[in-house]
Amino acid sequence: MASSSTSLKRREQPMAREGDQLIVTPLGAGNEVGRSCVYMSFRGKNILFDCGINPAYSGMAALPYFDEIDPSIIDVLLITHFHLDHAASLPYFLEKTTFKGRVFMTHATKAIYKLLLTDYVKVSKVSVEDMLFDEHDINKSMDKIEVIDFHQTVEVNGIKFWCYTAGHVLGAAMFMVDIAGVRILYTGDYSCEEDRHLKAAELPQFSPDICIIESTSGVQLHQSRYIREKRFTDVIHSTVAQGGRVLIPAFALGRAQELLLILDEYWANHPDLHNIPIYYASPLAKKCMAVYQTYILSMNDRIRSQFANSNPFVFKHISALNSIDDFRDVGPCVVMASPGGLQSGFSRQLFDIWCSDKRNACIIPGYMVEGTLAKTIINEPKEVTLMNGLTAPLNMQVHYISFSAHADYAQTSTFLKELRPPNIILVHGEANEMMRLKQKLFTEFPDGNTRIMTPKNCESVEMYFNSEKMAKTIGRLAEKTPDVGDSVSGILVKKGFTYQIMAPEDLHVFSQLSTATVTQRITIPFSGAFGVITHRLGKIFETVESSVDEETGLPVVVVHERVTVKQESEKHISLQWSSDPISDMVSDSIVALVLNISREVPKIVVEEEIAVKSEEENEKKVEKVIYALLVSLFGDVKLGENGKLVISVDGNVAHLDKESGDVESEHEGLKERVRVAFHRIQSAVKPIPLSAD
Amino acid sequence: MGTSVQVSPLSGVYNENPLSYLVSIDGFNFLLDCGWNDLFDPSLLEPLSRVASTIDAVLLTHPDTLHLGALPYAMKKLGLSAPVYATEPVHRLGLLTMYDQFLSRKQVSDFDLFTLDDIDSAFQNVIRLTYSQNYHLSGNGEGIVIAPHVAGHMLGGSIWKITKDGEEVVYAVDYNHRKERHLNGTVLQSFVRPAVLITDAYNALYTNQTQSHHRDTEFLDTISKHLEVGGNVLLPVDTAGRVLELLLILEQHWSQRAFSFPIYFLTYVSSSTIDYVKSFLEWMSDSISKSFETSRDNAFLLRHVTLLINKTDLDNAPPGPKVVLASMASLEAGFARDIFVEWANDPRNLVLFTETGQFGTLARMLQSAPPPKFVKVTMSKRVPLAGEELIAYEEEQNRLKREEALRASLVKEEETKASLGPDENSSEPMIIDTKTTHDVVGSHGPAYKDILIDGFVPPSSSVAPMFPFYDNTADWDEYGEVINPDDYVIKDEDMDRGAMHAGGDVDGRLDEATASLMLDTRPSKVISNELIVTVSCSLVKMDYEGRSDGRSIKSTIAHVSPLKLVLVHATAEATEHLKQHCLNSICPHVYAPKIEETVDVTSDLCAYKVQLSEKLMSNVIFKKLGDSEVAWVDSQVGKTESEKRCLQPMASAAAPHKPVLVGDLKMQDFKQFLASKGVQVEFAGGGALRCGEYVTLRKVGPTGQKGGASGPQQILIEGPLCEDYYKVRDYLYSQFYLL
Repeated sequence: MASSSTSLKRREQPMAREGDQLIVTPLGAGNEVGRSCVYMSFRGKNILFDCGINPAYSGMAALPYFDEIDPSIIDVLLITHFHLDHAASLPYFLEKTTFKGRVFMTHATKAIYKLLLTDYVKVSKVSVEDMLFDEHDINKSMDKIEVIDFHQTVEVNGIKFWCYTAGHVLGAAMFMVDIAGVRILYTGDYSCEEDRHLKAAELPQFSPDICIIESTSGVQLHQSRYIREKRFTDVIHSTVAQGGRVLIPAFALGRAQELLLILDEYWANHPDLHNIPIYYASPLAKKCMAVYQTYILSMNDRIRSQFANSNPFVFKHISALNSIDDFRDVGPCVVMASPGGLQSGFSRQLFDIWCSDKRNACIIPGYMVEGTLAKTIINEPKEVTLMNGLTAPLNMQVHYISFSAHADYAQTSTFLKELRPPNIILVHGEANEMMRLKQKLFTEFPDGNTRIMTPKNCESVEMYFNSEKMAKTIGRLAEKTPDVGDSVSGILVKKGFTYQIMAPEDLHVFSQLSTATVTQRITIPFSGAFGVITHRLGKIFETVESSVDEETGLPVVVVHERVTVKQESEKHISLQWSSDPISDMVSDSIVALVLNISREVPKIVVEEEIAVKSEEENEKKVEKVIYALLVSLFGDVKLGENGKLVISVDGNVAHLDKESGDVESEHEGLKERVRVAFHRIQSAVKPIPLSAD
Repeated sequence: MGTSVQVSPLSGVYNENPLSYLVSIDGFNFLLDCGWNDLFDPSLLEPLSRVASTIDAVLLTHPDTLHLGALPYAMKKLGLSAPVYATEPVHRLGLLTMYDQFLSRKQVSDFDLFTLDDIDSAFQNVIRLTYSQNYHLSGNGEGIVIAPHVAGHMLGGSIWKITKDGEEVVYAVDYNHRKERHLNGTVLQSFVRPAVLITDAYNALYTNQTQSHHRDTEFLDTISKHLEVGGNVLLPVDTAGRVLELLLILEQHWSQRAFSFPIYFLTYVSSSTIDYVKSFLEWMSDSISKSFETSRDNAFLLRHVTLLINKTDLDNAPPGPKVVLASMASLEAGFARDIFVEWANDPRNLVLFTETGQFGTLARMLQSAPPPKFVKVTMSKRVPLAGEELIAYEEEQNRLKREEALRASLVKEEETKASLGPDENSSEPMIIDTKTTHDVVGSHGPAYKDILIDGFVPPSSSVAPMFPFYDNTADWDEYGEVINPDDYVIKDEDMDRGAMHAGGDVDGRLDEATASLMLDTRPSKVISNELIVTVSCSLVKMDYEGRSDGRSIKSTIAHVSPLKLVLVHATAEATEHLKQHCLNSICPHVYAPKIEETVDVTSDLCAYKVQLSEKLMSNVIFKKLGDSEVAWVDSQVGKTESEKRCLQPMASAAAPHKPVLVGDLKMQDFKQFLASKGVQVEFAGGGALRCGEYVTLRKVGPTGQKGGASGPQQILIEGPLCEDYYKVRDYLYSQFYLL
């Protein structure tokens, strides 16, 4: 299917239709983590996957490179999940650009998207000029976002797409796009490991032609879930048992809910802990809890079966805290607070209070960005700087237990081995990690049929797909299955990327289109004798039949079985015919003739000799016209031997036999073009045959 | 060539019996719905019983008894074992409906057609799909794709599209084109020209739907009028279908008017129903999901409705006027029946029917006009046994137990012989006994002591009865003790253990009271007595069925305009009426088969597939028309490298063809178009359009039919020879594509 860029293929490219080139261009997340945004174009359809920001920057600098594309040509924008690096530039893209396509995301994503971005706008402390969008833009964008359920197939302008569960966070989806039979899978962030509430990423039923896959974890391997959870609960249990406090700094949404589930369950199984409170201190998480309590159907069977008894997201041992003022620090407790990086806010306030007591513990539950305090304390320095600028000894225990829900190397390679896509495009990964992953994947697919690409931002990957166009011939045309050499003529109806060929009579049966016949009746004032008209018509047209109208007894003339000329009254005659170009022409000439009769009576002289002579002249004229038209089309046309025309285009030469219309050329494409052009010219300059059938 | 399609109804044609139809597509048998009615008469299922074992797949449409009631019975007794496909809400709410049916029955009769376990196991192999999910069948069904689409009517309600080789069979019953509070309207109109449409004619004769706004006002006024004079209002409802819409109406109205009258929703499963419904937001109307997305306001967090799961709670409720929604809608069983009997003789009370009762039920009888003054009702009750009966029962049970125990011990003996005979070195000679003990405890409860004693018979063939002795010698090799690595593997199940304890029964979500009822093994019996109930309360019926009415049914079918149409589920008159209507104006192939009559609706469509060569396509110039593009092709058949048929350009110039005008002219639109071009235009009599002073334009031929099924349009333009004529003609041509 995919053609490589060898020189032979290159030469053929100009002949192939433009639409068969498939382009994938990361506008963000190419060799980087953050601001996911991948543009794809195939056969005139344009799709954008994700629309994120880079959380490390602010203002315009955080956006993907939108100026690389024309937003107005994007047909569909698909958002995989609600994280900022996948969805946060959406309000900007919807409200501040010329984009006019359709946007899709899952129900849960849409519900959380609004809460999360509203919170983001409030929290981000940037100047008004740097603000990409405000709350108003978010609310407006909500009306434009359409929802899609998992597995639901949606078709927009011939682009078919549906989504699979991706794990990672609630509502996260992988999109499979099908354009004219070529399938592209965009994984977004995914995880093949089932956890406490999320399903593992599904393995799509169909193998895609291109797989655009995340590479966040690179070649790392995760610890088994059981060990992670055991370490987590053990640390907490032993700390609170010794009278210490546990701080878990975490991003408000996504993994935090998983950790809360673990804690709630652990507490339920350990009655001795019931007097020790667990708090989660994030108003945002509290708001989103309603979403988690509702979209139970997107979660795994385990949660759903628990739901049969009671909603697992209605925690029994965990309570919410709105601010630090509500918190009374009186003994052992577990607090989960945002932000995850301990930059500022509630988690930092607690950290400052608790860091010097060695009974306390801090658990870092996931990937931390360089430069944050959380990243610093993983290396267990002796002292830390507090928010007020003082330094304090770091005595509390610090544990790093990763609960990140990105696929690790084992999952990625299994996933790809099952799907075996011929083209793999790696995005959303740090450049070095990505290269390591690419090298290692190469060893997994040694047969050389798999291409692995790691485009940088704005770097396009081009692929060529020779999709076969299949048409279905239906109805009358298909009553007999034709043999080789038979001709098939009919109306070709294209809808999306499906083609049907049918007889004009069947058009209304098999499509929503309909055909029409337009009957025209025109009356012309004419006061002469009808016989004159009949006579004159007989002189000009080949077949003229006279008859008498049965009702009125008035004479009728039918010209070429197309146009009926009828005497309506003493003063009028009428012309009636069914519209088509030839009949229109015939009727026009009859009208002209009738008008001329009334004006004057020209003499019609039969000039036999002139006719013969003009025959030859006509031949010459025709030849001249053909030559001139060919020159205007192909430029270099010379008269060759045997009366053949020699046409040369870009070093390719074609010989055209004017008599038979045969073309000889080594270049297939040129031959075809000359042949078609010659046919068309011939049908234009030769007299129109009147009998259509 | 075509895909063979046969339809044979098993129930629910020419009457209002439950729905159940067999559709066979190329030999693959689909059972469309598996309904039963509230009377649970097994004779209705006879046709199904004859074919049950040959069915390959079951598709369910709505979560009520009429559409899925027979599923547990058919699975248990009739040999139905095919996979069942349904949407998540149909599965879940259907399950609850069946629980409610069973528990209501069990209260008043020795119901033995199926048990709760049968319901559970029937619903266990339901494969859940989402709307517009194209599910590819495998096995014999290879090549068939099924997809549920929005039907309206009930939460999760589906119309099914079955596709094979491009041939579409659409099954659409009880759909609603109107958008309601909690549901979107059906998407049936978006299917155009399917090969076969199987639909119901249920409402074909019913065309008197009042505006929903007026209806709501009337509904609420009627209720409040009775409440204000101190009466009670009973709404007999289904378990988990239409009742949701009613709850929303009441809830909304109560918040607006700040009423203090309590509303009770009383079924055996009401609280589970609402809990589940709260998590089904993605299946509901756009406005409900939008309000949740923007304000996290779940419409089914009912503030004014109290959910009750047993009648005592209602009896303990503070006295005074109240609204009670109780199942079943048919008044044949359930709480609604009890309440009706209690309330019927008070003229202040109101019984408000929101749907037509099933044929032959108490509800239907009360809906007749004029309403009956008295009804004879058999009231049954389950009462615990007492006195002599109880003693007799216990003796009987003891006798049974003893027999059972005797049999068990015999079996055990056999087993012991069998197992000890050949395997004398068995390391666990006691295992048989422990197993038997366990079994006995499990099945006979407190009587196990007897059985332990009774059952402990020394195995006659054993060598010597002794306690097991294990020689604890460990194997050693040169590296030390031999270790079995499996002993040290951390088992994955461990971490889920806690949750699983909490999780308990996976599918059997039941309220505590229900559970107690289910586990209530106290001996009891059913006593019945006939009562004459004076019906002095008001009886009102309003249409909240949520089905399209006759006029919309007709226009929907006309829009879909299937090549072949099969009519089911309606009275004989309605079926005949719709059949005639469709024959006259929609499609020439209308079938209304009788029970077990098989109609062949295989399409006589001819079709073959060809590949379009690049050469041909590069010379085709498409013209865009609506959402499709058209072009004329002249081509020649050739062969591709892979021996497939392929269309190539003609070798010689193609013979000229008759030109075709493609396009659909709407006179109204054309008038506006002309007006925008500055032509004076107006409609003259008889649908003619006068353009300018002299030129007239009219459509001739049959025009009354929609959907383009009528064949080509005939347009007549006439006028005297003048400039206007040619101008109008050019404008007319611009509306068409000439091919």
